[in-house]
Amino acid sequence: MIKDITIGQYFPLDSVLHRLDPRVKLLAATVFIIMTFAVNNFVGLLLCFAVAAAVIACSKVPLKTVLKGLRPIFLIVVITSLLQIAYVKSGIVLVDFWKIKITSGGLLTALFMALRIALLILMSTMLTYTTSPTALTNGLDRIFAPFNKIGIDFHTITMIMTIALRFIPTLIEEVDKIMSAQKSRGADFESGSLIKRAKALIPLFIPLLFNSIRRAYELANAMTCRCYNGGKGKTTMNALKFSGGDYLSVALTAAFVASVVLLNIFCGEYNAEFTFNAAV
Amino acid sequence: MSEPIIEFDNVTFRYQSDTESEVLEAAVKNLSLKIYEGEFVAVLGHNGSGKSTLAKLANGLLLPESGKVLVDSMDTACEQDDIKIKQTVGVVFQNPDNQIVSTIVEEDVAFGPENLGIEPSEIRRRVDESLKIVGMYNYRKHEPHKLSGGQKQRVAIAGIIAMEPRCIVLDEPTAMLDPVGRRDVMAAIKRLNSELGITVVYITHYMEEACEADRIVVMDDASVIMDGTPREIFSDTEKIRSIGLDVPQTCRLAQMLRQSSIELENDLLSIDELVNGIDKLLKG
Amino acid sequence: MSHIKTENLTYTYSAGTPFKITALDNVNIDIEKGELVAVIGHTGSGKSTLVQHLNGLLKPSSGRVLLDGEDIWSSKEKVRSTRFRVGLCFQYPEYQLFESTVYKDIAFGPSNMGLSEAEIDERVRRAAKYVGIPDEMLGKSPFDLSGGEKRRVAIAGVISMEPEVLILDEPTSGLDPAGREQILAILKNYRKMTGNTVIVVSHSMDDVARFATKVIVMNDSRVEDSGTVDEVYENSAHLSEIGLSVPQVTEVFIKLKKLGYPVSEKIYTVEQGYSELMRLFSERGLLK
Repeated sequence: MIKDITIGQYFPLDSVLHRLDPRVKLLAATVFIIMTFAVNNFVGLLLCFAVAAAVIACSKVPLKTVLKGLRPIFLIVVITSLLQIAYVKSGIVLVDFWKIKITSGGLLTALFMALRIALLILMSTMLTYTTSPTALTNGLDRIFAPFNKIGIDFHTITMIMTIALRFIPTLIEEVDKIMSAQKSRGADFESGSLIKRAKALIPLFIPLLFNSIRRAYELANAMTCRCYNGGKGKTTMNALKFSGGDYLSVALTAAFVASVVLLNIFCGEYNAEFTFNAAV
Repeated sequence: MSEPIIEFDNVTFRYQSDTESEVLEAAVKNLSLKIYEGEFVAVLGHNGSGKSTLAKLANGLLLPESGKVLVDSMDTACEQDDIKIKQTVGVVFQNPDNQIVSTIVEEDVAFGPENLGIEPSEIRRRVDESLKIVGMYNYRKHEPHKLSGGQKQRVAIAGIIAMEPRCIVLDEPTAMLDPVGRRDVMAAIKRLNSELGITVVYITHYMEEACEADRIVVMDDASVIMDGTPREIFSDTEKIRSIGLDVPQTCRLAQMLRQSSIELENDLLSIDELVNGIDKLLKG
Repeated sequence: MSHIKTENLTYTYSAGTPFKITALDNVNIDIEKGELVAVIGHTGSGKSTLVQHLNGLLKPSSGRVLLDGEDIWSSKEKVRSTRFRVGLCFQYPEYQLFESTVYKDIAFGPSNMGLSEAEIDERVRRAAKYVGIPDEMLGKSPFDLSGGEKRRVAIAGVISMEPEVLILDEPTSGLDPAGREQILAILKNYRKMTGNTVIVVSHSMDDVARFATKVIVMNDSRVEDSGTVDEVYENSAHLSEIGLSVPQVTEVFIKLKKLGYPVSEKIYTVEQGYSELMRLFSERGLLK
């Protein structure tokens, strides 16, 4: 159930990608996602896919696992595609039957959109697959460190993220346990009307809430005992340091941006009719 | 005798009630106690006897209503020594799940030293050493939630040790563990005391564990009622049982035999001691 | 006649993936009506998974669970009725309390059974009496009670369903000696008053020796051994190998025997040890 979701999961392997500085990966993934939306021609999109394929190959994560991660968004892709087909009316009319009118423009826009979404998900999963949650928060913490100087307490935000990541598995386990315990007393979480089902959740949520508050108190005590004082003067054991691979990745990312921009200028916007005719 | 590392001087503490009108009973009342450097002290008492409050008073998590708590001569009520005090006396709690902050074992152990602003290379050294002494070094890259209770508790202990405290207070660290987990945690704590010379204050209600200490302090009704070596404490089985605690089976058996006027010696604690005592009597 | 029984019970997690874990492997247990059974084993031995099968919380991957000779999974109604006939109380049950009063919390099970108001009231009061919760406590919020009281209220929440088989998963963990004694007394009392079967998951070999009529040892997802306390504890060396240890007093007698004294090694409680030694001392004329 909740345990089956793979988005946001970390895949502990030892690859070039895993060893990269999390700041570089965050930056590169963000840039890549922006570029997939900036790109306006199929050649550029092809380049994006080539880059994505290279990234997957470097990560050592099995292709099957990566594609599996795409499954949950399949429905979103289908719906967006249908909407595009329904609303975009340009190019050659391919089907005109009863109230349905499908144009080559609609079809191509839909395809383009679907591919963009796939790329977006692909790259964000690659980021989380190759970067541990701690490294990720650590990276965010460092990227936003300058904000601490201007009075925005970003350190607290990353601390909250770390604690959330740490306690998600604990809470999932707890939900499981409380549900089993209440089921043993005849609670029924699965049948009945919506209102009845919502009511049935009270025996789950009240203990969960109380236990979380208790955990929070205990954690706060434990953190105080370990001299936590809001991150003032804090050092890090695994200080982030740029290495050769990181510089190379930044350079490659820059080259990628340049290529996409150039392709946008020279290949121009995809021309539905042109592409279609060429295809035929 | 060495200097006291923690000194409770006539300490009283009471918790605030939810309703303002009601005044709660004192959780700790006129308590005076000295813990000396290098000791292994067990604190016994039934639930609600004030043991956990004692643990939280020991490093300034709670401040006394009256009286004083001194850590290495620093008053815990003095705010500017706060970090120094918490670094000197570390506290480990009952539920290991609620003490681990990070998603990777070694990063969690590093949390304390990082907060203290210690150099990264020195943190690395401390983290490795702490994990080794509790026997969790091979798990340094693991995710805490996948470890067993005993393993998690040892990670929590390593997290305190990495701050290089002089004293560690453990509040029923084995209460939620199975026998194997309990044994491993106990072994780790004994190593801290014998190998690193860290003072240990061990709060428990497992009598067999208390027997391992140099000294036992028994609490009842918010104050200390007995203080002595395990032999001294457990020879008074009646008193221990009267306050809802138990004595080790060996002590009880010896006590029952003595009551039937079998002249066993008075301070038989371990299995071997009792066997030898009986053997001696039977051989005449 | 067997009351609750498993036949070749097997349970696997994440079947069909490389992470497949067998939590129960061909488990056969057979418990008679009115027994007080202890299930022992270290963490991860499968004991908690086993008891969750007995009230139908978990569905066997293969094999059957029989209550009074009938498969509890034979129909949907059967599973639901099994929940009430086999009451399961989880470890640290006080963390599952949720109602505004102790009374309502204890009444949760019986009201799910669809009983009449009067019947529910009767059961709540009876359950409270079993666990030693006084009437004036019934109107209080369960969150205002002490740890030991919360534990007893939570146990009453299962007892109020008046299950034919009452199962408790490590009911004494975290409690002090006095609290442990109270809980053990409740179990014995429930069995005596109702004649129902009680199953306790425990890792305290000392406690088990004092109350169990039958012991089931779980190890590595399998039933390692079962029988009376005498039969199971006999093999003390093997028990400590699988992470369990026999009571201190048993070890005293094993050592005395090794020294050549004519004593029984089947001594598991202090009282037994006392009478055995008194026998020895009187035989040797050492009693005054």
